[in-house]
Amino acid sequence: MTLSHYVALGSILFIIGVFGALTRRSVIGILMSVELMFNAANINLAAFNRYLHPTGVTGQAFALFIMTVAAAEVVVGLALVLAIYRRRDKIYMEDINLMRG
Amino acid sequence: MISRAWLIPILPLAASLVILFFGREREDSPLPFVGIAAIGASLWIALRILFDVALGTLALPYENDWSWFSFAADLKGHPFILDMRAGVLVDGAAAAMLAVVCLVSLLVQVYSLGYMRGDAKFKRYFAYMSFFTASMLGLVVSNNLLVTFGCWELVGVSSYLLIGFWFEREAPAYAAKKAFITTKLGDLGFFLALLLTFLYAGSFNIVRVKDVVEMGYMPPFVVTLIGLGLLSGAAGKSAQAPLFIWLPDAMEGPTPVSALIHAATMVAAGIYLVARCYFVFAASPLAMETVAWAGLVTAFLAATMALVPYDIKRVLAFSTVSQLGFMMCALGVGGYTAGLFHLTTHAFFKALLFLCAGSVIHAVHTNDMRSMGGLSKRMPLTFLTMVVGAAAISGIPPLAGFYSKDLILEKVFEHSPAMFGVLALTACLTAFYTFRMLFLTFWGDGRNNERVSRAEESQAVMTIPLLILAALSLVSGWALEHAWAASPGAAGPGAFASLVGPGVAAAEHGATGAARHVNPTVLAASVTAGACCFIALAYSLYCGPDLGAAERLKARFLPVFKLLENRWGFDAFFLALVDIADRVADLAKWVDTEVIDKVFVDGWGVLTRIAAEISHLFDALFVDQAVDGCGYLSRDWVGAGLRGLIARGQVQEYLLYLAVGVSLFAIMK
Repeated sequence: MTLSHYVALGSILFIIGVFGALTRRSVIGILMSVELMFNAANINLAAFNRYLHPTGVTGQAFALFIMTVAAAEVVVGLALVLAIYRRRDKIYMEDINLMRG
Repeated sequence: MISRAWLIPILPLAASLVILFFGREREDSPLPFVGIAAIGASLWIALRILFDVALGTLALPYENDWSWFSFAADLKGHPFILDMRAGVLVDGAAAAMLAVVCLVSLLVQVYSLGYMRGDAKFKRYFAYMSFFTASMLGLVVSNNLLVTFGCWELVGVSSYLLIGFWFEREAPAYAAKKAFITTKLGDLGFFLALLLTFLYAGSFNIVRVKDVVEMGYMPPFVVTLIGLGLLSGAAGKSAQAPLFIWLPDAMEGPTPVSALIHAATMVAAGIYLVARCYFVFAASPLAMETVAWAGLVTAFLAATMALVPYDIKRVLAFSTVSQLGFMMCALGVGGYTAGLFHLTTHAFFKALLFLCAGSVIHAVHTNDMRSMGGLSKRMPLTFLTMVVGAAAISGIPPLAGFYSKDLILEKVFEHSPAMFGVLALTACLTAFYTFRMLFLTFWGDGRNNERVSRAEESQAVMTIPLLILAALSLVSGWALEHAWAASPGAAGPGAFASLVGPGVAAAEHGATGAARHVNPTVLAASVTAGACCFIALAYSLYCGPDLGAAERLKARFLPVFKLLENRWGFDAFFLALVDIADRVADLAKWVDTEVIDKVFVDGWGVLTRIAAEISHLFDALFVDQAVDGCGYLSRDWVGAGLRGLIARGQVQEYLLYLAVGVSLFAIMK
């Protein structure tokens, strides 16, 4: 297992996340894809820390913070989704277009 | 002591500032003594310089200067730093002049203590006096023509302040303006001469300019122009024809001021300037001849005008003009020494005459000689000193005026017998009008007993200066002519010549190269005899208890008297000039308001407005529409298209654009 494997895993996860965020109709799906991207980043952090600075724990600590922030973000996101659902009875992205020019 | 020469003008200047800015205006203010002390110190320095010269321990000329200012200049592509230096240049003439100015100013200021006592502007008067003296002394010692010019103008300003000292009354205010403007007219020439001097000599330093002129580096016509310019300035200041019109009116000032103006500070400046720049005239025969003729005409005209007035100060004023004419004429015919000699002696006896007149006026409170008469018993000291002054100015031997006037007449005779004739007649007229004044004032009892009987001799502070000046008038001619003959610095008779002479000996010699042989004794005797005859004539006309003889003579030659009383029409001539100037100014004003304002200025405004309207229309129709059109195009056409295409409100599309963008950057590195 080299650094490349971890970086490749992170990249694959990130691309899956991006693909999901771009293609899912449901807001829930998009939120889950975003979580995927966060985790790809976490893997990168942990891997780089492990291979480039074996003695330190900065990357791991940073990953923990990101998880915390991601959790908080999901709370806000789900609250928004819930509010939209209560108002419109559906949560499809193509219907949420208040920012149309 | 000569190294302190720069202090001579500085001390009175400092004194004037002290008097002006410190203390309160009080009738018994002690501040005038500051001015008197300062001028006394200056006099002491000046006298020490003279004594050093007389003892032969000091060689003149002495020059010392300091850097005044400097600036970068460019001459035909060669840049250089021009260092303007200002300082003192004391030659024989300057040394003599310094002593005379300081002495006369000191005596006049002491005299003024009595004369001006009780005046509401007592302190200010002495501040002006000190300033006046300082300006004149600065003019005398300066080695830089620019500084000389500055002092020259300061003399003008001070004379303006002092002539118009009682400016609450209309006549002094008018006289002050007249004096100032008339002298400015002459100063234009002086200024022009300065410009030409700097243009051709590149320096204002008198010695350097002298070198340039004497080496012949200056084109002759330029030298002549400079000479005429200087003469014009001198004619204004020294009241030469036709610019003498201001001097009789200047009598409106306090009488000691008149004494100072006439003896030492103001009118002497013009003569002194011509003497100081004598090298210019020596290099230009035309300018020299003009000086001589200006002096001659002035001397004669002023002497005739002095024959008729009944105002005692006016007689003296015309007499000054006439004597200045003598000096100018002397300078013009090459009598440098003679002119300066007369300037010196004249300072003494003219100051004496004025201060005597002031004493008389102080006693009888009028200028009109018809209201005087018989004062010899009431004011014996004033009477005796005035007799000395009158005899001195009339050229009675062995008083001061005899020596100097004799020297002038001798020089003029060598130059031209015709001019000598006119000048000799003028000298006789001088004796006539002076003694006419004396007889009218002091002889002939009973014309106005009320005023005369209340007259009293002036106090000591006024009579002591009179006595000193009288003593100087008695002996200065003889002393200056002979006393120094035995001193190491002088050779032969004519000590005054040896004092002022060395610097200009060559010029003087050149000008009198073709001298006529003349017996000075015969000349002097004949002129003196003529003067005595005219004195006798004056006695017969004006000495009686009434003015019957004089009035009959006047009735017989009324047109002549009228002409003389109108001053040969010079005042009328200048008033006519002013009138013409007024009319021209009116015309110019009409052209300005009616033609230039209405047609050009207002017309231009109308044109501008029309152009502005057109411009506005163009702006609104084309420019604004173009701007609006651009806005409309970008908002409703391009913008609307883009909004429909891209900004559809789909968050995922935006994210796609972002992802594509980031990927592009990543690919492009």
